[in-house]
Amino acid sequence: MKNIFTTLFLLAFVLVGQAQIDRSQMPEAGPAPEINLKDPQTFELRNGLKVLVVENHKLPRVSIQLSIDNPPVLEGAKAGVSVLTGSLLGKGSKNIKKDDFNEEVDFLGARINFGSQSAFASSLSKYFPRVLELMADAGLNPNFTQDEFDKEKQKIITSLKSEEKSVSAISGRVGLALAYTKKHPYGEFMTEESVNKVTLTDVIQFYEDYFVPANAYLVIVGDIKFNDVKTLVEEQFTPWTKAVPPSFGFSKPADVQYTQINFVDVPNAVQSEITVENLVSLQKKDPDFLSALMANEILGGGGEGRLFLNLREDKAYTYGSYSRLGNDKYVPARFRATASVRNAVTDSSVVEILKEIERIRTEPVTKEELENTKAKYTGRFVMALEDPSTIADYALDIETEGLPKDFYKTYLERINAITIEDVQQAAEKYLKPNNIRIVVAGKGSEILENLENVTFKGKKIPVKYFDKYANATEKPDYNASPPADFNAQTVLNNYIKAIGGKEKLAGVKSYFLLAEAEMQGMKLNLEVKKTAKDQFMQDVKVAGNSMSKQVFNGDKGYMVMQGQRKDMGPEEIVKVKDEAAPFPELNYLNSDISLEGVESIDGKKAYKLKISAEKTVFYDAESGLKVQETTTAEMGGQTMTSTINYMDYKEVSGIQFPFIMAQTVGPQRFEFIVSEIKVNEGVSETDFE
Amino acid sequence: MKNKLLTGGFLLLAGLCIRAQEVTYEEYKLNNGLHVILHQDNTAPIVTTSVMYHVGGKDRTENRTGFAHFFEHLLFEGTKNIERGKWLEIVSSNGGKNNANTSQDRTYYYEVFPSNNLKLGLWLESERMLHPVIDQKGIDTQQEVVKEEKRLRYDNRPYGQLIPVVGENLFKKHPYKDPNIGYMKDLDAATLDDVIAYNHKYYVPNNAVLVVAGDIDIADTKKMVEDYFGSIPKGEDITRNYPKEDPILKEVRTKAYDPNIQIPASVISYRTPGFKERDAYVLDMISTYLSDGRSSKLYKKMVDDQKQALQVGAFNVGQEDYGMYLVYALPVGETSLETLITEMEEEIAKVRDSLISEKDHQKLLNKFENQFVNSNSSVEGIANSLARNYLLYGDTELINKEIDIFRSITREEIMEVANKYLRPEQRVIIDYLPEESQSN
Repeated sequence: MKNIFTTLFLLAFVLVGQAQIDRSQMPEAGPAPEINLKDPQTFELRNGLKVLVVENHKLPRVSIQLSIDNPPVLEGAKAGVSVLTGSLLGKGSKNIKKDDFNEEVDFLGARINFGSQSAFASSLSKYFPRVLELMADAGLNPNFTQDEFDKEKQKIITSLKSEEKSVSAISGRVGLALAYTKKHPYGEFMTEESVNKVTLTDVIQFYEDYFVPANAYLVIVGDIKFNDVKTLVEEQFTPWTKAVPPSFGFSKPADVQYTQINFVDVPNAVQSEITVENLVSLQKKDPDFLSALMANEILGGGGEGRLFLNLREDKAYTYGSYSRLGNDKYVPARFRATASVRNAVTDSSVVEILKEIERIRTEPVTKEELENTKAKYTGRFVMALEDPSTIADYALDIETEGLPKDFYKTYLERINAITIEDVQQAAEKYLKPNNIRIVVAGKGSEILENLENVTFKGKKIPVKYFDKYANATEKPDYNASPPADFNAQTVLNNYIKAIGGKEKLAGVKSYFLLAEAEMQGMKLNLEVKKTAKDQFMQDVKVAGNSMSKQVFNGDKGYMVMQGQRKDMGPEEIVKVKDEAAPFPELNYLNSDISLEGVESIDGKKAYKLKISAEKTVFYDAESGLKVQETTTAEMGGQTMTSTINYMDYKEVSGIQFPFIMAQTVGPQRFEFIVSEIKVNEGVSETDFE
Repeated sequence: MKNKLLTGGFLLLAGLCIRAQEVTYEEYKLNNGLHVILHQDNTAPIVTTSVMYHVGGKDRTENRTGFAHFFEHLLFEGTKNIERGKWLEIVSSNGGKNNANTSQDRTYYYEVFPSNNLKLGLWLESERMLHPVIDQKGIDTQQEVVKEEKRLRYDNRPYGQLIPVVGENLFKKHPYKDPNIGYMKDLDAATLDDVIAYNHKYYVPNNAVLVVAGDIDIADTKKMVEDYFGSIPKGEDITRNYPKEDPILKEVRTKAYDPNIQIPASVISYRTPGFKERDAYVLDMISTYLSDGRSSKLYKKMVDDQKQALQVGAFNVGQEDYGMYLVYALPVGETSLETLITEMEEEIAKVRDSLISEKDHQKLLNKFENQFVNSNSSVEGIANSLARNYLLYGDTELINKEIDIFRSITREEIMEVANKYLRPEQRVIIDYLPEESQSN
């Protein structure tokens, strides 16, 4: 190395003088490199398993891919059975315990993973025989146990929960469900309910039905010898019982009759997810398949696509906007154009995406665009050859998609033969701007108004509303007005009636409440006592120690905060008096309170009453019950808002009390769960001293 | 299946030792200080050209954070000879692909082309180094794009704030305290002069390494490299003198909120040495020991056996000056964050207090060997390793001998390093909690 280093140095000096290049000219490409596409070696077992082998000795490693090419499966009310089957496979076998299996796979530095109808393994080539054996054993002799089943189920439910608020998860789910309907294998999705319906027996049945060799392919690539592979695979996979999966029909999805926006309200979204989609009947073997791919590529294939250039580079609406054109041999696939954009430009982004879809259908693409895209495909094809598994992927494709044997050998020729007209015809056929669905998931209170005014080709696009699970729903109402004959008195009276009526409430001399909340593993205990004489005591304990206590005897009072006692001042007394009443609404009836409007609280309509400059209370429009209270306070120059949500009303002594009070202050949330409420007992005068 | 066979293979393995194919390369410097590394591999007709600049998120002044990442965007805007917006088109219309990424320590730009376009790759990178066009229009556009990237990657993404929050809590003085992508107000405040000055300081040949890897002819390539890069003027020497952190002597406990999540996470983090240090390699082994694979200690205990965690992980964020070591878990059902911390600490304590078993040690070595073989599987990956090893680790040959470092790490050393960096009083615990969104 050292020698080379010094000679190079000298050479560099010599070269400096003579190097004269014209850097204002982009360098021309050299002669095209030669492509040499080999075929994999193959064999088939008697049970139907087809095996493809690619020897490649560059690195001492090997990969094994088992794929079972069954038609799509409708899981229906038990959506989740396939995911559960996949997660229960690969957990040991009838011959080797799960822990030993995992331990050995890890020890070998290998990976073995299963899907419901697939498996993948990789390892250093020296461990290939053992890894193949472990994979075959786990796949053919699975050990489904109730214990593992329960555990996986719990995990799936928790992870469904973790995605509840994810805008992209919601948008992905709704986009598929609307395109295919929820009664189609591609449109259905798991919910907590559907996962809970699945039993261990269902999993075993699913495995027995679909994990069968009729449509199975095993692809082995790497530093191995064909003959060794053949011997080992025959040994391991011959026991796999010959069987064909059952086949069921399902509904045929259809495009929308007219172009429409399907809106999903996600209040926490800071970006909107836009998916513009229609169905396409497209298979790899279709003669215009490559032309269709070209059209999509020019529209939104990547960083040079029109969508990207328009929405990101020109308008800076988004980090990226792309389109995809699927293909599927069983059912229609989807065309979709997508972007994640900031709230304020949601409507404009929809308009720009539609414009681009329309343009690629109506105007021929330029010669330059087509040539560039061909070069891109050529480059991609060449680059893919670096990976030895490409050869196997191509062979598998020819086999499963019913392609001519020379499909990939003539691929570049066919790409080069595509004309501008071919591209436009394909765009006209597969993109359907008059029957397209525009799914938008985002924060309605900020984007909906503009979205409703989106026009396309001079016509307003109708908006339909869906919830997070693709059910049609009402338009979310952000500023509805209450009925004309409603005022604050009506709302208060409805509330009083709903919780038990004036008479019942008047009979309450005192009440006593105990509640508990958890804050990062610590217990918070709340104790409240009130009397009709405006006496009030509230004590919050953390792990048994009093953190904050307020006592008010009707005239004066004090607070103890972390051991420091302080008498209440006149302002504090005014506030605490308001708190002290067992049912402040009885007092509100006699004061000047205004009905501010209707808002949505946790998705339900509620009337908003402004009690004071600092305090607002919401009452559910349907039940009349108090559902939320917000208070603002000045603290160190900042305005803090505290929100209490009241839930889970239950009856005590003929009166409805909320048994859950969830308080949110800034980013903190405590959910107090009431353990005990007593009316007219448990309170004495000494409590307020 | 035959039981005998299933237990048989196990014992043979321990003694075997493999040698991944050696990666050959040549390296030299141009007069302007540009370091060049060439790697020839003619198996597939493709070539990677890449430049790594020694500039990252940490190279900034106060109130000008996120500059390196912003530059990653700006330097695709165009050059004296490449019109604005044409960069991506040139690459793809010649059958290539390209990308770039920025860490706290370095920025990496690369293209992959069919090998008949080697010259084009060199031209593109030399144009970028010699005379990028930096103007107000480019700055305005990319400011918006970066903001969208921030929303997408951090603000709208579940657990997206995790790494920035850990950085903010582990570092008080060193620039690692600020997020790599920067604060938006800093980017908004950036003037054209600031941006041009930054370019002159850092994007110079003596602060970079050029790698050409793949289907090339060494002699021809050398001439081309000299042609395209030889005349680029050398820049000033760069000195980095970032403040040293005071050691963490008392546990820090803090909270962070994320509106995009439903399930909280408990995170234990530690400040660790820079990735060049041998101890950083040991910490890599410890994180693999704790959480890589279904038989790893944390996974097996918390996810599998006790069902307390939905997910558990440990990873070492390697950085030049200091690293960040994170152990985290997401609770299942009613499990409290407190319980998760106790359970995680219990396993970390075991690494501090006792030697890991010999079998586990061998398992770690097997895993690292497998990783090592796979890390050299593509020409693109090799180019990245060569650049990184030279520029950040100061030793190009690591590409072939890094595995020897792992092989030389003993069980005793693992225990020693755990005691040095992973003690309870050195940790920062973050309760990463869902933020309830205000109702409409």
